[in-house]
Amino acid sequence: MILSILICTLILFPSQGSGNSEKPDEVITRFQNQKLSIKWDPLTKAPLIIRGIESNLLEIKNFSKLSREEITHAGPQLVSKYQSLLQIGPDQLKLKGAEKISDVWYVSYWQTFQGVILYESSLGFSIDSHGRIKSLGAILYPDVQSPVTSRMSHEAALKIGQSQIKDFNKLKCRLMAESVLIYPVRKKNSVDYYRVYAFNFFPEKALHPATTEGGWAVFVDSQTGKVVLYETLLKPMGCCVPEDWVPPKPEEMKPKW
Amino acid sequence: MVSSKSLKFFCVISILFVTIACKEKGGQLALPKLGSAAIDFTCQDLKGQTWNLEKIKGKVVLLRFWTDWCPHCRYEMPVIENYYRKLNKEGFVVLAVNVKQSPQVAEAFAAQFDVTFPILVDPDGKLAQRYGVHSIPTNFLIDRQGIVQEIRVGDLFKNKNFMEGLLKSYFQK
Repeated sequence: MILSILICTLILFPSQGSGNSEKPDEVITRFQNQKLSIKWDPLTKAPLIIRGIESNLLEIKNFSKLSREEITHAGPQLVSKYQSLLQIGPDQLKLKGAEKISDVWYVSYWQTFQGVILYESSLGFSIDSHGRIKSLGAILYPDVQSPVTSRMSHEAALKIGQSQIKDFNKLKCRLMAESVLIYPVRKKNSVDYYRVYAFNFFPEKALHPATTEGGWAVFVDSQTGKVVLYETLLKPMGCCVPEDWVPPKPEEMKPKW
Repeated sequence: MVSSKSLKFFCVISILFVTIACKEKGGQLALPKLGSAAIDFTCQDLKGQTWNLEKIKGKVVLLRFWTDWCPHCRYEMPVIENYYRKLNKEGFVVLAVNVKQSPQVAEAFAAQFDVTFPILVDPDGKLAQRYGVHSIPTNFLIDRQGIVQEIRVGDLFKNKNFMEGLLKSYFQK
């Protein structure tokens, strides 16, 4: 009885103290005898942030001996442990990136649905040199309602995509990236899911590293052919970094004075 | 009694006037330049705090436009965080403006990288447009007098001494 009241109190009242006074949107809850601070996404009802209080979310043994690939298994482990909170399965993760900066690993994943990436989804965390994961940040969609196959062909969708760009031929536009994605459209009280053909077009002159020209993203619904997203793209500078560029070593990236 | 014709005429003239006024204003909007005063703005962060030039007066500010899909934004976020933690008390402010993404995306990203500096949200890209941002990431370094001292498109650490040298000139005792 007392325990129930305590749990309710912890859930109902925003965290205060415990080093969490700056995070008024987070609520403290107990999960499998662990005290967690969680911020929920009010729309999807999935966690946006989970922090361990007085304990870590996960501790990876022999962390210093692990390879990069082994380190990337931390995501599925974490999801398995907190599956009922995160409301997705470990097999729904696809690695987005894993970088080591100043002895800390930063690992992130996309969420997938039937093997297809959800646009702008993510689950990521940092792992310190002792293998400790203290918190995670996520954009997850637990209840994806999307077709699992496309009704229209890629060619037909591409034509629709190209037709959205004024002066497509004159600008010598090129298809720089394409994929099939699940595109969640966040509405006020619900999320619409589209299985889309996603195209990124760039005019030829945009590809020169010295220009600031951007391109366009066009998402075509694979069921109806309707354009569900059309927007200009900011030029990602990551695309234009020479392949032979080597990131500086961690010790070179710390302030030296 | 105003006739219908007069009313229509008045409306047309009014619309024309407003249109011309907006265009003129738009035409006068200059982009930030090196050595010039930074352009004022009003933008909210993820905690709902409002930021403008007045609020950061007297500080050295890194105004960085970023997105979660940009590889260098990911890679450099923890590095910038290191500088921020070291120099914040000495007056170094980082305002990281997330461009054209939802606050939830920005928030999850910040949590993944343990970022403690303010994350501003610019979901329709208006602030980015006002600052003439075409590429991601783009960085503006604004000095204590509110003057733009550096505009850097792309990563800050490709030249490993760049950021170090720049900040040293402001903070090394």
